[in-house]
Amino acid sequence: MKLVKINEDNCVYCHLCEVACKTEHSESKDIIKAVKKENVLSRCTAELNYPYSASIMCRHCDDAPCIFACQNGSMHKDERGYVVVNPNTCVGCWMCVMVCPYGVIKQGKNDMWGLSIKCDLCPDRSIPACVEACPNEALTFEEL
Amino acid sequence: MKYVIIGNSVAGINAATAIRQNDTQGEILIISDEQTRCYSRPLLPNWVIGEVSLSEERMFYRRSDFYEKNNFKILLGQKVDSIDTKNKTIMSSNSHTIEYDKLVIASGANAILPKNISGIDLDGVHTLTNIKGAKKLKENLDNIDSIVIVGAGLIGTKMAYDLSKIGKKVVLVELAKRVLFPALDDYGALLIEQELKKAGVEVILNDSVVQLNGDKKVKEVVLASNKKIQCDACLLSVGVAPNTSFVDSNILIDKGIVVDDTMKAYDDCYACGDVASIYDIVLNIKRPIPILPLAAKEGFIAGLNACGVETKFKGGFAMNSIEIGNTGFISMGIVESDNDCVLEFKKDSEYRKFIIRDNKLIGVILVNNVEKAGMFNWMIEKGFDVSWIKDAFLNSDFGWKYFDKAFRVLRLDRKLKG
Repeated sequence: MKLVKINEDNCVYCHLCEVACKTEHSESKDIIKAVKKENVLSRCTAELNYPYSASIMCRHCDDAPCIFACQNGSMHKDERGYVVVNPNTCVGCWMCVMVCPYGVIKQGKNDMWGLSIKCDLCPDRSIPACVEACPNEALTFEEL
Repeated sequence: MKYVIIGNSVAGINAATAIRQNDTQGEILIISDEQTRCYSRPLLPNWVIGEVSLSEERMFYRRSDFYEKNNFKILLGQKVDSIDTKNKTIMSSNSHTIEYDKLVIASGANAILPKNISGIDLDGVHTLTNIKGAKKLKENLDNIDSIVIVGAGLIGTKMAYDLSKIGKKVVLVELAKRVLFPALDDYGALLIEQELKKAGVEVILNDSVVQLNGDKKVKEVVLASNKKIQCDACLLSVGVAPNTSFVDSNILIDKGIVVDDTMKAYDDCYACGDVASIYDIVLNIKRPIPILPLAAKEGFIAGLNACGVETKFKGGFAMNSIEIGNTGFISMGIVESDNDCVLEFKKDSEYRKFIIRDNKLIGVILVNNVEKAGMFNWMIEKGFDVSWIKDAFLNSDFGWKYFDKAFRVLRLDRKLKG
């Protein structure tokens, strides 16, 4: 299965992956609105402990613990085989957060319910937005 | 091959799913004494106060076409009276005998009704572990101005907060010295207690209910301390006990149904979920751990073994995630210890606590900064040696950056399964 490979030696902590991710998952698809107005949460997170830095996101586990822990089937595998959240049913109980072995699910909001936010590997694109935006091949899209 | 699954909730559904993934032809029959498709039990308090309805998909565990799509037969409203594991038959409440080749018992657990409380049969006494109990409480809600909730566990605490939120006068009575006793330590529980009080809940600790008074309907609750509380209703949430009354003597019961590491209870008979007594890898004992994530996992593994795909279950441990007001926490394993290495960090509303024995993580509490909780869950489950990284645990920004490179790359490249 093709996944985003994290090549930490190439990362320069530029955060362009996060900007691209926020834009891709925004209503407007506009960089400025996505980042400054819509307050979209990035599905990938750039972290730094100099000289190390890397952008981390969901590894789309085969036996994904988050799917087992979900109380109402919101967390599921889509037709591509990637782990995604149904935003219309998620209630934000954070049981997926409790079991995610990579710590890559964020706590978002959706009207009156909490909403688990995680990488969906950009279903509308052939190459995920973060990979395309990375200037340095610190993120690449390949078989893992 | 005919598979029969007793129980139509999380464990049963996952068992059925695992079987269907490996046996497309076999007959799979799910029996339940309830009348609905599998629903989300953790949402029952929200349903009681009207935050979610049965017309919303989020209330259900699987979509409405799930049974048909997977070719599951389902028998609703049928209680299993007895099973005969020698002749491989089940007797249902309407005296039907059903034969099976493989049986999966996923009958769950029901609310404990404490026998030492007198007056428990009065009207207005509620429990809340299934939709039947929740419906009774919901329908009675307009007649309730004040309610006494007995037991400050997960259900009691959440329901106390939710009922207070919609304007009911709530008194929460707990036998232990703190709320959420096994899930939180003193300090963590205090943070939740403050949220409850802020919402208007009266919390009474170190006390228990001995008597319920009223003519037909409960009107007064008497505590062991002799304190009397007037009320219109009472919710009993002192814990759950496995539903094992129907099993025969071939099946060993020790708190729950005793299973081996393939979830097998007897020849061609498996048990999983809240009814099963499983290996607790933190406490090193066998016991039922009635939580949803484990029910799902156990159910799936029981299903795999039932259809011949041998898979081992390594065991589980207690874990909880709740939000009360502005305080959210996740806890795992044990929450206090006098004999182990304990690391603690408190700042503003954040609280982090780690318990380490023989260089292995056996307990975690995270309050108000929980997003990395699963990384610690993984360490507990794998018995990971934390001696070289534990110093970083107390950092609020704990993450992959604190691991050494070789390990980090292996994990993130999915070369180490987890």
